[in-house]
Amino acid sequence: MSRLSTFESDEAEHLHDEHPARFAEASFVPGQRRRSAFLRFTRVSVWLPCALLLALLALGWQLYAIHNPFVIPKIQQIFASLGDRPGFYARNAGTTLSEALVGAAVGMAVAFVLAVVIAHARVVERAVLPIAVVLNVTPIIAVAPGLVVAFGFGETPRYIITAIVVFFPFLINSLIGLRSVDPLAMDVFRTLHASRLEVLWRLRLPSSLPFLFAGARICMPLSLIGAVVAEFVAAGRANGLGTLIVTAASLSDLPVIYASVLVLALLGVALFVIIVVVQSRVLKWHSSETTKGR
Amino acid sequence: MSRNGSAPSAVIPGPDDLAISQVSKMFGSGEDRVVALDNASLTIERGQFVTVIGPSGCGKTTLLRIVAGLLSVDAGDVSIFGESVSHAIEAKHIGFVPQSPALLPWRTVIDNVRLPLAVNKKANSDPDRVQLDPAQILASLGLERVLHRRPAELSGGMQQRVAIARAFVFDPPILLMDEPFAAVDELTRETLRHELLSIWQTNKKTVLFVTHSIAEAIALSDVVVIMSSNPGKIQKIVPVDLPRPRAETVESTAAFHELEQEVRTEIRSRWEKK
Repeated sequence: MSRLSTFESDEAEHLHDEHPARFAEASFVPGQRRRSAFLRFTRVSVWLPCALLLALLALGWQLYAIHNPFVIPKIQQIFASLGDRPGFYARNAGTTLSEALVGAAVGMAVAFVLAVVIAHARVVERAVLPIAVVLNVTPIIAVAPGLVVAFGFGETPRYIITAIVVFFPFLINSLIGLRSVDPLAMDVFRTLHASRLEVLWRLRLPSSLPFLFAGARICMPLSLIGAVVAEFVAAGRANGLGTLIVTAASLSDLPVIYASVLVLALLGVALFVIIVVVQSRVLKWHSSETTKGR
Repeated sequence: MSRNGSAPSAVIPGPDDLAISQVSKMFGSGEDRVVALDNASLTIERGQFVTVIGPSGCGKTTLLRIVAGLLSVDAGDVSIFGESVSHAIEAKHIGFVPQSPALLPWRTVIDNVRLPLAVNKKANSDPDRVQLDPAQILASLGLERVLHRRPAELSGGMQQRVAIARAFVFDPPILLMDEPFAAVDELTRETLRHELLSIWQTNKKTVLFVTHSIAEAIALSDVVVIMSSNPGKIQKIVPVDLPRPRAETVESTAAFHELEQEVRTEIRSRWEKK
């Protein structure tokens, strides 16, 4: 046994080596990873291609705008509109964002609870999934006017429309996640006679997290689409970026249209980044995080 | 269990035995039907280390999964110290070590070992149970420096040690191991074999161990059960009367080689008949 122990402690020593060859494939050092991600963006070769293309596109846009002032606005007009009334855009962005977030939260919550039920009862899956598929393939923009008539011009139809848009992708991701359980780990739980609740809480739920985050990354941009569609249809309420775009389009106020689009794009990016950051904190254990940047 | 008896043990099992009686298991139906286990009987005395060996498809894993309550029987009966398999599972009497470590990647090493204590808690109050300290058992397997690491940071051999610690920690009287060392390299395998022996010698359990390594089977066990395939049958039961506690040196003794040869010849004899 003494010889074995020596072998053992040697192996443990490797953990603290400068070059832990045996653990290289799977080991990770969070601090190092973050620094390298940051370094990547400071490297010219990384950001330059995109910056160049962007400059080229902007140049083309600007040339076209100068000769066709009634088709697209000049870039400086867009920024001037934003700079003139930052509070106005912020207020409208806030409305759209809250619609998107509340709707998405409701839609994702309902989808997840349903996925948990389905994961435990196949009969519910057979009942729900066909309907969910039909709901998913029906263009939401066709459903929206009816919802507005039914629920009025207030926030309610906007929440419902956003919730419907995110419902299906999150349902599917949750379902796959809850089922993506290591079968041998499941065997261990079964031989311990773990209850369904224990299996759900200690095995299914953590196993599903990578899929839930993937779902959230799909659903966040979708929720913005839902909110804007809802505003297009129920433009009676005089706020929200979607409302702003419809109103500005009817007045041919080009800078306002494109300023609103720009703000929506930035909202989308912000939501996406938030999800990615939260994911990298929560999913430190997952291989999609530990192998990043290799 | 007589040394020369080629028929499965005919001893009537007592309440202190793990008794597998005339168990059959089929998979599929119609023309695709496969008889995974055909009328298998085996009696394991309390505290014995029994290894099941045989070619792929001989039903050794099926047998283990039936005892683990992961598969039902089509015919026959399994009794674990006088109680049914489902009772044994409910009472957390079974420690299971699967083919791969199957650790939970989001839990640290020590939290993985604590898992069996955290689920099905009402079985923890069993008066016969002497729960081990997770840190201590990990230390005895040489893992004291990685307690708070996550499984992905460990080598395959270290992960398998964690899985063994997880099976020992709640002190189940029965340990079922399904080719636990299949995924690690040969050198680590030999180390693990002797670590398992030493931990088993201090925490005596009834062990049913599936392997396809003859040397592993003999080095570890009191009894080697040889199975043959098509249909899955118990072909011969070979007692291993090597002295315990066994050191690594046992594998270079003449008695060991003799047993190894006996088991190998027995397994080959079936192949040659086909």
